[in-house]
Amino acid sequence: MTSYLLDVARNRNIEEYEKAGGYQGLGKALFMEPGQVVEEVKKSGLRGRGGAGFPTGMKWMFMASDPKSPRYIVCNADEGEPGTFKDKALIDKNPHVLLEGMAIAGHALMAGLGYIYLRAEYPEERGILEAALKEARAKGYLGENVMGSGKKFDIHVHMGAGAYICGEETALIDSLEGKRGQPRLKPPFPVNSGLWGMPTMVNNVETLSNLPFIMREGALRYAGIGDPSCPGNKLFPVSGHVERPGVYELPMGTPLREIIYEHAGGIKNGKALKAVIPGGISAPVLAPDQIDCPMDFVSVQKAGSMLGSGAVMVFDEDTCIVRVALRTLEFFEHESCGKCTPCREGTGWLKAILERIETKQGHGGDIQLLEDVCRNIAGNTFCPLGDGAASAALGFIRHFREEFTEHIRSGCRYHREQGQAQP
Amino acid sequence: MILITINGKKIELDGPVTIFEAARRNGIDIPSLCHHPALELWGGCRMCLVEIEKMPRLQTSCTVKAADGMAVYTETPRVVAARKAMLEFLLINHPLQCPTCDKAGECALQDLTVRYGAVAGRFEEGKRTFPENVDDPVIVRNMERCIMCTRCVRMCDGVQGAFAIGVVGRGAGSHVEPFSGGRYNCEYCGNCLNVCPVGAIMSRLHRYTYRPWQMDKTVKTICSFCGVGCTILLEVRGDAIQKVSPAFGKGVNNGLLCGRGMFGYGYAGSPERLKTPLVRKDGKLVPASWDEALALAARRLLEVKAQHGGRAIAGIAGGRCTNEENYAFQKFMRAGLGSNNIDSTARLGLLHAQDLLEGIFGQGAAANVIRGIPHSDAVLVVACDPTRTNPVMGLQVRAASKAGKKVVAIGHAPGLKRHMTHHLSAAFGHEGIALAGLLRELLRQKKALPGENPEFEAAIMGFSELPSPEEVRRLAGVPEAALTQAAEALKDVSTSSIIAGRELAASMDAKRNFMLLAAIGYVLNSRFFLVSEHPNEQGLIDMGCTPDMLPGGRPLALQTFRERCEHEWGARLDPEPGLTLMEMFEQAGGAIRAMYIMGENPAFNLPGRKKIKEALEKKLDFLVVQDIFLTETASLADVVLPSKAWSEKEGTYTNLEKRIQKLAQATGKNHEAGMEDWRILALIGRLAGLGNMPYASASDIIDEIARVSPLHAGLRYEDLEEDGMMWPYKGKPLRMSGGMQPLPAAKAAATLDRREEDTGQTGPALVIEKPLFHSGSLSRHSGALLDIMGGPEAKMAPGTAAGLGICEGGSVKISTAEGEMVLKAKLEKGLPAGAIFAGNNFGDAGALGLFGYELEPGSKTPVPRAEGLEITPL
Repeated sequence: MTSYLLDVARNRNIEEYEKAGGYQGLGKALFMEPGQVVEEVKKSGLRGRGGAGFPTGMKWMFMASDPKSPRYIVCNADEGEPGTFKDKALIDKNPHVLLEGMAIAGHALMAGLGYIYLRAEYPEERGILEAALKEARAKGYLGENVMGSGKKFDIHVHMGAGAYICGEETALIDSLEGKRGQPRLKPPFPVNSGLWGMPTMVNNVETLSNLPFIMREGALRYAGIGDPSCPGNKLFPVSGHVERPGVYELPMGTPLREIIYEHAGGIKNGKALKAVIPGGISAPVLAPDQIDCPMDFVSVQKAGSMLGSGAVMVFDEDTCIVRVALRTLEFFEHESCGKCTPCREGTGWLKAILERIETKQGHGGDIQLLEDVCRNIAGNTFCPLGDGAASAALGFIRHFREEFTEHIRSGCRYHREQGQAQP
Repeated sequence: MILITINGKKIELDGPVTIFEAARRNGIDIPSLCHHPALELWGGCRMCLVEIEKMPRLQTSCTVKAADGMAVYTETPRVVAARKAMLEFLLINHPLQCPTCDKAGECALQDLTVRYGAVAGRFEEGKRTFPENVDDPVIVRNMERCIMCTRCVRMCDGVQGAFAIGVVGRGAGSHVEPFSGGRYNCEYCGNCLNVCPVGAIMSRLHRYTYRPWQMDKTVKTICSFCGVGCTILLEVRGDAIQKVSPAFGKGVNNGLLCGRGMFGYGYAGSPERLKTPLVRKDGKLVPASWDEALALAARRLLEVKAQHGGRAIAGIAGGRCTNEENYAFQKFMRAGLGSNNIDSTARLGLLHAQDLLEGIFGQGAAANVIRGIPHSDAVLVVACDPTRTNPVMGLQVRAASKAGKKVVAIGHAPGLKRHMTHHLSAAFGHEGIALAGLLRELLRQKKALPGENPEFEAAIMGFSELPSPEEVRRLAGVPEAALTQAAEALKDVSTSSIIAGRELAASMDAKRNFMLLAAIGYVLNSRFFLVSEHPNEQGLIDMGCTPDMLPGGRPLALQTFRERCEHEWGARLDPEPGLTLMEMFEQAGGAIRAMYIMGENPAFNLPGRKKIKEALEKKLDFLVVQDIFLTETASLADVVLPSKAWSEKEGTYTNLEKRIQKLAQATGKNHEAGMEDWRILALIGRLAGLGNMPYASASDIIDEIARVSPLHAGLRYEDLEEDGMMWPYKGKPLRMSGGMQPLPAAKAAATLDRREEDTGQTGPALVIEKPLFHSGSLSRHSGALLDIMGGPEAKMAPGTAAGLGICEGGSVKISTAEGEMVLKAKLEKGLPAGAIFAGNNFGDAGALGLFGYELEPGSKTPVPRAEGLEITPL
């Protein structure tokens, strides 16, 4: 297996990156017509790595067919989903692959300017990116005349302000424009009316970072990696009760079991696996008997969850699932933007019910109530944040209903076993 | 053509509209809390969810456009369940204070809860709490009741353009706050609270006293503050106005209001209203009976007439009086007393501006629809700030800006600061020079003139010596680049709107200014709008309250028309034009021995105050004033006759579009004190045996106007029901079918008089500030407006203040040849350097008292002058 994202060079400076073939993809792209680059990306079968898995080439075609200008490339580096730290690792280890990817996108979509919307909690990555930008400009990969092609492309780094919702592309654009970050109505989509009302391509860090390989090695080679329905390498950030937590670059479709037990070294201290969240906190939890599932967009969905960001969160047998559910809903309540009724009011309500179950104040009917509230949220929200909260909560109940019932009846077993007082 | 079905009903649509709108048009009610027709789409409350065939999720009907073949269901069990769920969500944090909430009875959330049934109350935890905020004098915020529909914020940002409030916090903790904190620092338009569906933002004016179901009636009428003529609803109980409500979808304003219109109504119920007639006895005004006061007025007027002739009596009509009252007034003066000395404050600029414009383009040149402004490609605002003087017209300029149209302002227009694309910051009184420079640049940059009127184009091309950008910079202080860029932006527009202020006409260069304005208007295919400060300023002109024009804008000099009036009025008319406004005072004690003033306050509203007061007090033999308050003028009168406030009478106003609109009587049924102005005139006329005014109602007078004025021929009171009626009504316009007619005299005036005016002013300049919250005589009696802005101030830029040694809040003495006054200094960033702004709104501190004047020779328009200005910090 070739790593083309993380393990490209020993350190992140531009010379090392160039030695490993860096910026050759951009060079090749610049020799092609913009439309041909879009075609190439389409042929590669690349699907967005931010969570939704939308075919990137198709999204690019939508923007390519809109004649308005100026046009923008926006890199979504607002990596706010708990459990997800792949973009951070990518920027830390290999910032130039992102810059090259953005420059390729800029050429393909005839944009002269790119923004990296960087998560507020990543100040270190800001420094790394700024340093890399300086290098790339000095070498002529960015600026007024990209690699002597006469084309202009430059990139600004813009820090977010700490809201998870700004990872949603239209909320991100509002925030970038200086407004309160809240999702916009779609249509119009950002490809037609994005930043300042102009055609804008919002792509995830990892998505953009796949472009240099596609351009350098060709769409066909790329399409041959991993699962044909969603080819390429995927970054899997693994966290929780494993021996070797970290970010793993593996072909799309690698089974979840292999990720946990081979790459991440299995469950910590030899304990048994209790549950695993396969794709970030919005993805419903999977039970141990489901981990033979290949990690690609289609298979994980079939298993009743979603690949999302590919963030694998592992829980061992000593984990209180009610507590995990409560922590999850605390997150969603805090991050609900407040725009739509069901998410604004419902996430807080779910949290409140879970809180009382976890603290032995729950009562009969609470599980039913949780499910009811989830169903009233799901499908009725403005954006997927509320859906994510509801499906995550429902996932915990689906697989661990017994544990919820037990909590209501006799409180939290794990607190007792660990000799802790009831919270 | 789009065909859809809603609940099985076939619906045809001409163009793409939302499902919500398609349903509404077909009488199918879909509930919503966040949607509002005046605001941009939101889709947040999720109450309008509907089921659409082939779509798995429920869809928000307020955002989804109807597409051909769609089958929509609005009340299926699934939809109803979802709506109940949304209501349950909303109510978990909404306090159940309906019994004490002022919104109860007209609360959208309450109504929907009734419609879909109350829920079981499954929420066990405590509700979110916010302390109620009563830091503001007129707006109270109760954020516990807020349902985050954001209508208020979308109104403030998207429509009002004030950007004064925003959502703070996140998730369920989100709430709305003014950026200024507790007290609002905003335009107080009140439009935010008018769109609040619940009781989260409310007016303090009717706190705990307003229950919608206890109102006696809701009366649709016209606002009494400015020349826009907004349609408003008066909620009335116990013969008092409890509240002003908007009428969305109706009127010139489409439901939008401004601070004066929304909160200023209190003057009508002020305890300071005149309660009885007053007569002067031993030098003092004392209460008198109507019989006594009317008899005295009739007797003294007859005596003056007998002794000195009718021409010795002068009359001033009122821009706040109705058309019917102003018509009756000029008839009383002309036919009854035999005097053509009739004028009004339209003389301060509007009349001259209109004369000049109509002289070029024909009658009705400024009769254009305010709501059309955002539809033109560009708006040119000259020497005025419509967002202050005519706020709702200002909103249309902001709407144009929001729609991406070009907005060019010449002169000081702070309310458009964030909304203009180009600013030509001409020094005060030098806007005409910027106009000339703009015309030169347009002619230079444009490929060709429209070609519609060769004669007019020849006149334009004959304009000689238009100043270059460099000269404009030197003479008016406009940067060269700003001028050329503005011309660049305007040169290719196909339609435009021009809004001009009265200062352009109250100028020794008025003729030049309007020639230039007309030329630019021709080049840019413009519609003209003239700002107008009083609700019936236009009506003053149309009703013949001018010394040389009879009703309908027909010249007194025209014998056929004079005869028509003589026939109707049964009296001979003096063919000689009378005196103009300022001349009346100048000749008081000489040619003028008595004055009759109706609803106007010249001792406060005119420059040259000292002399005017002296004339009124000492030089006249007799002065009658009709008003609702004991104004500065009324307090000098021999007889004061209390009239009715705008909410207490019927009649019509003509707005700045030349739209005639109907007032409706809402209060004053039991108000014995005041009478309609026309009724007072008719009674005096009867007592004196003068004039022939057998009227029983305002509608009788409209009938007579329709007979006398060719402009209003055939007009009936009933024609004015919905949104009034626009010029040329049912009459014949005088405008030629060929369009504009350049006057020969105008050609002669086309040469720009380039006096070497140096704007590198040596000293500061005094400018009359027109604040948003006060007009003067009326607003001073409105408690709410006084709470918002309590007193006079001298505003200036910090740099200007520093140069004069003035600090924030310090006292400043301003003295001129006319007088002096001490004001509190208020420093405001962004004001033009060297200018001191003082308003003419508060009694003795009215800054017009510092101005003398000079008459523009042709029109006798007073051009205010502050000679010998000295500013000293105290």
